[in-house]
Amino acid sequence: MSWKLFWLLVEAARLTVLLSAGAIAIGFLIACLVCAGMLSHNRVARGAGRLFVSFFRGTPLLVQLLLIYYLLPSIGLDVPSEVAAITGMALCTAAYQAEIMRGGLGAVPSGLLEAAEMTGMSAAQTFRRIRLPIAFKLTLPALVSEAIMMLKSSSLVSVVGVIELTRMAQDLAASTYRPLELYAAAGLIYLVINIVVALLGTGLEARLRWGRI
Amino acid sequence: MGADMSFDLGLILSYLPRILEGLGVTLMLWVIGSALGLAVGFAVAVGRRYGPAPLGWLLRGIVEVIRGTPFLVQVFLLYYGGPFIGLRLENIPAGILALAIYAAAYYSELWRAGFDAIPKGHLEAADCVGFTEWQTLRRIILPEMTVLVLPSMVNMTILILKETAILSIISLPELTLSVSAIGTQHYAFVESFTVLALLYWALVEICGALGRRAEARLSKYRFAT
Amino acid sequence: MSAPMPAVRIEGLCKDFGTTRVLDGIDLDIPRGKVTCLIGPSGSGKSTLLRCVALLEEPTDGYISINGDPLGFDRGPNGARVKLPARQIRKVRSRIGMVFQQFNLWPHMTAVGNVSEALVTVRGMSRADAEERARKELDAIGLGARAGHYPSELSGGQQQRVAIARALALDPGIMLFDEPTASLDPELTGEVLNVMRRLAESGMTMLVVTHEIGFAASVGSKIAFLDHGRILVEGAPGEVFAKPREPRIDQFLETYLDRGAATLL
Ligand SMILES: Nc1ncnc2c1ncn2[C@@H]1O[C@H](COP(=O)(O)OP(=O)(O)OP(=O)(O)O)[C@@H](O)[C@H]1O
Ligand SMILES: [Mg+2]
Repeated sequence: MSWKLFWLLVEAARLTVLLSAGAIAIGFLIACLVCAGMLSHNRVARGAGRLFVSFFRGTPLLVQLLLIYYLLPSIGLDVPSEVAAITGMALCTAAYQAEIMRGGLGAVPSGLLEAAEMTGMSAAQTFRRIRLPIAFKLTLPALVSEAIMMLKSSSLVSVVGVIELTRMAQDLAASTYRPLELYAAAGLIYLVINIVVALLGTGLEARLRWGRI
Repeated sequence: MGADMSFDLGLILSYLPRILEGLGVTLMLWVIGSALGLAVGFAVAVGRRYGPAPLGWLLRGIVEVIRGTPFLVQVFLLYYGGPFIGLRLENIPAGILALAIYAAAYYSELWRAGFDAIPKGHLEAADCVGFTEWQTLRRIILPEMTVLVLPSMVNMTILILKETAILSIISLPELTLSVSAIGTQHYAFVESFTVLALLYWALVEICGALGRRAEARLSKYRFAT
Repeated sequence: MSAPMPAVRIEGLCKDFGTTRVLDGIDLDIPRGKVTCLIGPSGSGKSTLLRCVALLEEPTDGYISINGDPLGFDRGPNGARVKLPARQIRKVRSRIGMVFQQFNLWPHMTAVGNVSEALVTVRGMSRADAEERARKELDAIGLGARAGHYPSELSGGQQQRVAIARALALDPGIMLFDEPTASLDPELTGEVLNVMRRLAESGMTMLVVTHEIGFAASVGSKIAFLDHGRILVEGAPGEVFAKPREPRIDQFLETYLDRGAATLL
């Protein structure tokens, strides 16, 4: 396979990274809301949060993407397919991230929170200064896995016409008739990206050197 | 929604036999794919634990490559790239093979975690009462491990169910392809994908509930840690 | 002549978990400037009593007052039990410091961070002033050199001493200890008990749940023996441990023979 073809794949991989990073970031914000809903005392908010998580974890991302791709125009939102793609990815990862957050917040030992209460910290201070940072440390590995999952899942947006890495490989395979090399190369690029993300995750974990809880 | 595009789920559901046919293919793919994956995954875990070191490295490399690349790319590589190395498969066997390989990589990690989680003391105890290695594996390791890994196995198996949808991209006539074909036929995309999402959602929820019941039943065997 | 007002007065305290009654009408005064030790068999309700005084558990019935101020609940006009507003609760509770069996140091903060955190967030001190104060507290318990260490880098005994410093930094009037040495290796209990002994000598009011009968007998001015959610015996160590004794206490001491109770038998 020529360098020119490989370079086209690398260029397309930039969109893959961009889409995934965008979806993870937007998904994180949505996940915060959903998690707050799930932990809220309000029954409606709790039910809505759980329903959201159940639906987006209970259906294939491919189906979600197709549904959103056709749903947005049908409610009068004519958006580029990139936007539909990032919306679908963000909603899906939000559900997973919300569940991770809920688990992490719940896993903070209650004694640490009682100790904070005894020093007179308010509920908000306890949450911000004690519960959140510890939950973050606890969930970091799961969040990194989720980011890698999302990078891989981004290949599915090729079906709604976004020319990211997988779609580029597909198009080039069709025109050059060399699917073996092109898909192998695409796989290799995904692998490298994911290894980098995993290494960043381990590096970040190592920097939170405060050890076991 | 425009007045001429009424939202009509009934239209989609009137094709029930076609939907059920697709569902049948999905379930077939899922059951065969995950059963093969479970078995091969177990073999991989055993190979990595008890096999010679080079085999362990090789298996680990393969597992990491599969876990580090998208399933869709693996499917394309096998289905479109396979013929170039003499592996010419129809889409159904190709789909099953891809699914099984993918599942095996993930399951092998779960099996491995299961092996690691069994306390050494239990194995030593088995040794002391005179179990052979095979007996230890069959009577101690496997039952204990099953209880330990069941929750993550259930999650993984549900994940595989969702991954089968991706096989529609190589025109494998499973649930996603059948229902979206009905949608295309009537230009009723939103309806068809809504029905599809609801069907998968129901399936996943049912499996999740069954898994939780099995866990509850087995949890009494969980050893104290 | 009226007795001086106790630091803590507990009256008719009851606590139910679901349908089980764990504390069953506790009346107890904690004298100011003295060490009161709560002893009793496992499951008798010692921790629950302590946690009620810290308001980490909400009592089902009864009253607790700190220096005469009601904690959590007060008697209403027509004899009804009324819950006090959160601000009042925080104010009264700020006089109480608590030390837990499991230390409960915040793992993401160094020793100094643990001790200074509430000084900043609750007392509004500047970070620099708070850390200076924290270092003084750590020096006082012999941990000045470990100020920058994270809890995971400290031994159990050191962690518990940091936890004591964290509570003391807030100048509490009363210190509650729930089995502070129970999760420590025997050779580490001494350093924690020594810190507590010195604290007692400085005149701190202390309520200590402990299985260290030797410590209770030597440092405690008052012993309360709890059994099945009731106080069976209370008094000075001399009275509680003097023979002839309540048979339940005899039985209890035999169980703790190896914990310094041998001298009392
Ligand atoms: N949160 C809770 N929910 C239900 N029951 C509880 C709870 N906390 C304590 N109990 C029960 O209350 C009783 C008293 O518990 P407590 O922890 O106060 O005993 P203790 O005297 O401190 O025992 P130990 O010496 O073992 O610490 C026990 O029977 C315990 O099972
Ligand atoms: Mg206790």
